[in-house]
Amino acid sequence: MRSLQRVMCVEDDPDIRMILEFSLATVGGYDVCMCAGGQLAIDQAAAFKPDLVLLDVMMPGLTGPQTLAALRSQPGMTGVPVVFLTAKAMPDEVEELLQYGATGVIVKPFDPVTLPVDIRIYWEHGGGRRID
Amino acid sequence: MSALPQLIHYLPTMHRPLTATPVLRVLVADDIAASRNHLCDLLHGLGHQAQGVASGSEAIEQVRVQAPDVILLDLLMPGMDGFEATQRIREMMTDRWLPVIVTSSLEGEEHFIHALSNGADDYLARPISPGLLQAKLRHYAKVLGLQSRLAAMAQRQRAIYDSILDAVITFDDAGLIEESNPAAERLFSCKDGQLAGQLVEAAIGAPLPELLVRHELPLRRADGSVFPADLALSDWSEQGRVQHTLLIRDLTERRHVERMKDEFLATVSHELRTPLTSIRGALGLLASGSAGTLPKAAVPLTEVAKRNAERLSHLIDDILDLTKLEGNQMVLHLRLARLDVLLREAITTNQGYAQRAGVTLAADLPEGCPQVRVDGERFLQVMANLLSNAVKHSASGDTVVVSLDWTVGHVRVNVRDRGPGIDPRFRGRMFEKFSQADGTDRRAKGGTGLGLYISRMLIERMGGLLSVDSVPGEGATFRVELARDDAGATVWTPWVLHIDNDLDSRRRLANWLSPLCRVEGVPDLQQAQGLVSQTSVPIIIADPRAQGAAEEFCLSLKRLASAGPVILYSDGVDQSFVDHMGLKWLRKSHASCEELLATVRSAIIKAGRQESP
Repeated sequence: MRSLQRVMCVEDDPDIRMILEFSLATVGGYDVCMCAGGQLAIDQAAAFKPDLVLLDVMMPGLTGPQTLAALRSQPGMTGVPVVFLTAKAMPDEVEELLQYGATGVIVKPFDPVTLPVDIRIYWEHGGGRRID
Repeated sequence: MSALPQLIHYLPTMHRPLTATPVLRVLVADDIAASRNHLCDLLHGLGHQAQGVASGSEAIEQVRVQAPDVILLDLLMPGMDGFEATQRIREMMTDRWLPVIVTSSLEGEEHFIHALSNGADDYLARPISPGLLQAKLRHYAKVLGLQSRLAAMAQRQRAIYDSILDAVITFDDAGLIEESNPAAERLFSCKDGQLAGQLVEAAIGAPLPELLVRHELPLRRADGSVFPADLALSDWSEQGRVQHTLLIRDLTERRHVERMKDEFLATVSHELRTPLTSIRGALGLLASGSAGTLPKAAVPLTEVAKRNAERLSHLIDDILDLTKLEGNQMVLHLRLARLDVLLREAITTNQGYAQRAGVTLAADLPEGCPQVRVDGERFLQVMANLLSNAVKHSASGDTVVVSLDWTVGHVRVNVRDRGPGIDPRFRGRMFEKFSQADGTDRRAKGGTGLGLYISRMLIERMGGLLSVDSVPGEGATFRVELARDDAGATVWTPWVLHIDNDLDSRRRLANWLSPLCRVEGVPDLQQAQGLVSQTSVPIIIADPRAQGAAEEFCLSLKRLASAGPVILYSDGVDQSFVDHMGLKWLRKSHASCEELLATVRSAIIKAGRQESP
């Protein structure tokens, strides 16, 4: 089985996006496509062909779950694991997020040092486990 | 004989004291001047004011103009006699009571009886005995004083009734409105219609049976709009007729404020967390060396910044938890779990923090621990709090021991430190909000003072207990006790049978008690009987309202519970009834979720002791 290589990351806050990019690209060494919103992710998915998508839940414009639904409808994107990023304020919503078809949920504030490993675990094992 | 003028003018009506023997204003009606003047002198001598008139018609006129307190009326006068004058006075005086004392020198008592049955209050035979006159006037002064006090009280209550913002409606058993206050008229009455005489169902838009049992209902204003209302009902009976007085509070504004508060908190939490995510992320990357090796002097500075960003995160978490717990909005996911597994996870997670303080976390976790029902995440949160507390109060080189033991009914976690222990003066307050042993402690040790309070609430929501033992100078032991949940074991599984005619009330109670045990809600005794078997006796919680005769209902409950606990959860009973029946009682409108949990928990513990060998 090939390893996790191409990560698409969708986050509206520019500072968090910068941290995520540093974490995934510099610490994790992945090929990263950073998107500032759901629509940008949908537009670039076919060209970038991500192995995994890291998706913020609360965003202006398209929300995380809406973006997920749109991505899933694209050919070639149906089986790509999607991991949600969500604020810790809403642990009750984790189950709901998993029901949208997400592979996992990572809670903010996340640890950028361990994030690359955390998403690799999702990539390797799949299936609705939650990492704090 | 008397130099007094025939007419003595009263002093202007002035404030008269109600308590001291008051000065009465007495009107004397007598056609014979000598006896009239004699009587007036007598009254002056007794300290009262007196005015004399010579005929029945003059008396009527003076009653109208001067409004005396008492009238002494001679029965035999030319023109209008005393009988007729009495009758006229009675017809005139509808707003207050004017005592009429008739006088006569006639032999026998028939004329007095006739006068009394015509509306007179009392009589005096002539010649009038001064002693008897004094005694009678003293009696009337007392009665008039009482009457005016009652009138003042009624007036005061009327003023409150008319001016309160809550709507008040009184209706009979059939739902016919008898009376309503201006607030009710404003809410429910059409422009020229009046509420009195209408059916309450039609007027406020809710079915009568619901109004009698519910505490909250959507009601309809006159303009057709619907609003959430808080209801308080009192039943009373007047001459055998049951009346219901309903107090209605419009909750629209309160709901609006609650929603705004929730939205505000959600926004604040999101807005605070977003920058904190960046700050913590950036500092974490710097401290890890991912962005290159830091200069030596920058390392402790980065650590300070990182640690304080974490502290701020925890504070936000705590405040949000507190808001949710106190607003009853925290949803717990209770699942069967083995505490030894969770405790190992807690120790691993908190090991780093302890090591930095030079404290060792040790585990004493025997095999075979029975399962309990907890929310794993929230349990770990409580353990993180207890462990960091223990570490904070330990000296470098100390060991904090986490141990586990169990009895037939409970599993107990102990977190023991060898710190300075807890000042006995602080013991009583330590699980309260924002409590730390003293203000300096907060700064020296860090923390918000919310941790133990939140921990206690969380454990209680899981149906457990959080307590502490401490000997000052020898450390402290925090204990978490949770009920065992052994599937298939012979120990008694507690459950609650809730009998209440009100669906909302059943739902609320089930919601509140769900962390503690299984709850079955039924509307009446008949359905309750189907659920109770010999082997599985529940804790019974019931509201006698709308269940027929309350006493009979409670006796049936006791039979159903067969010596098990029965708790009345009702606004429809009072203390003397509850004492008489020998039952526990919680007021529906007063008891909080915590009180209810505490009462049921102690009932479970008591019942568990009876059941276990």
